[in-house]
Amino acid sequence: MIAKVKRWLEEGTVDLFIGYKMVMGHPLPYCFVKDKIEAVNDLIVGTSRYALEKIATHISAARPDIKIGMLARDCNQRALSVLFIWNQLNPEQIRTVNVNCCPSNLKEHGDCSYLEPQTAGFFKQQVGVNNTDRPEDLEKYDQPERLSRWMYEFQKCIKCYGCRNICPVCFCRECSLEHPELVATGTLPPDIPIFHLVRAVHMAGRCIDCGLCEDACPVDIPLRLLYRKVNEIVVNVFDYETGSNAAQSPFSILGDQVTLEPKPLRALEN
Amino acid sequence: MTVKRITFVQELLAFMGLEGRLHLEWISSAEAQKFVRVITDFTEKIRMLGPNPLAAFSETRNASGLKIAAGLRKRHQNQPLRMQATHCL
Repeated sequence: MIAKVKRWLEEGTVDLFIGYKMVMGHPLPYCFVKDKIEAVNDLIVGTSRYALEKIATHISAARPDIKIGMLARDCNQRALSVLFIWNQLNPEQIRTVNVNCCPSNLKEHGDCSYLEPQTAGFFKQQVGVNNTDRPEDLEKYDQPERLSRWMYEFQKCIKCYGCRNICPVCFCRECSLEHPELVATGTLPPDIPIFHLVRAVHMAGRCIDCGLCEDACPVDIPLRLLYRKVNEIVVNVFDYETGSNAAQSPFSILGDQVTLEPKPLRALEN
Repeated sequence: MTVKRITFVQELLAFMGLEGRLHLEWISSAEAQKFVRVITDFTEKIRMLGPNPLAAFSETRNASGLKIAAGLRKRHQNQPLRMQATHCL
């Protein structure tokens, strides 16, 4: 893998390569370039997960002509598909080195390089929602209990926007969660459960089940479980599998086709 | 398409524990009686569901400041004493 990356950099197949490097004992995302090609010897894969494609998105936005190579697990691949569909990245500028992936509901077979997720503590199991459950596991609770368990989880939210910031497919310049007329900015706690439900609905057709949101959440809200349910609904109701195909159309919650056409500005003057 | 959107929100709310609060109906402006019937039935259905459960979460908090529904709080209080002590820390 190291030899391949070096060859890519030397031949100019890519201008820079995003991977991981051990920095003071932590595997961190690192950008390898041709000028310092010996650094590629320190390229590792490891068990760490970051949204490398998000870094690529920011680089592409600033310099669209740069060719970027990156390490891609399956979750990264799915995220790249979604970013290509939404025109955030140019598929011709991206080259990937595929590595082992983690298991997910959106993909059947996975070689695991993901650390075992933590089991929920005793109190959380009593009154909250277990992060490692699957969506169908929550069927065993009846409606009022489900509500109180989810509300227990949501009320811990401190509106750090970690979930939104780390999400590889979140790219909106004007995020609804920061819109002053929708969400009371500058005050804590956020309005629950609507804050998380808004995010969940926006994740329809975009979430590719990488789990970084749940990893980022400082108070351990089972976000991945919630968005897995959203994905399930999208697959069942809309027949759309997010991230499976880089050539499908973007998911439109308005339906199969948007038939309304924008009115010409002249009409407003009448 | 609207059906799909509404189904989506209904299923998400059901997953959350707020089932049965969203209803979709197609009514022409000429079908006044149907409109009245649908609204009355749905209002009754909502009334049967009881007061807004989200309002219950602005009730008294417990010692650690987290709000827990009454039913679950009772269950937790029946735990052996050492577990309760751990929780209060």
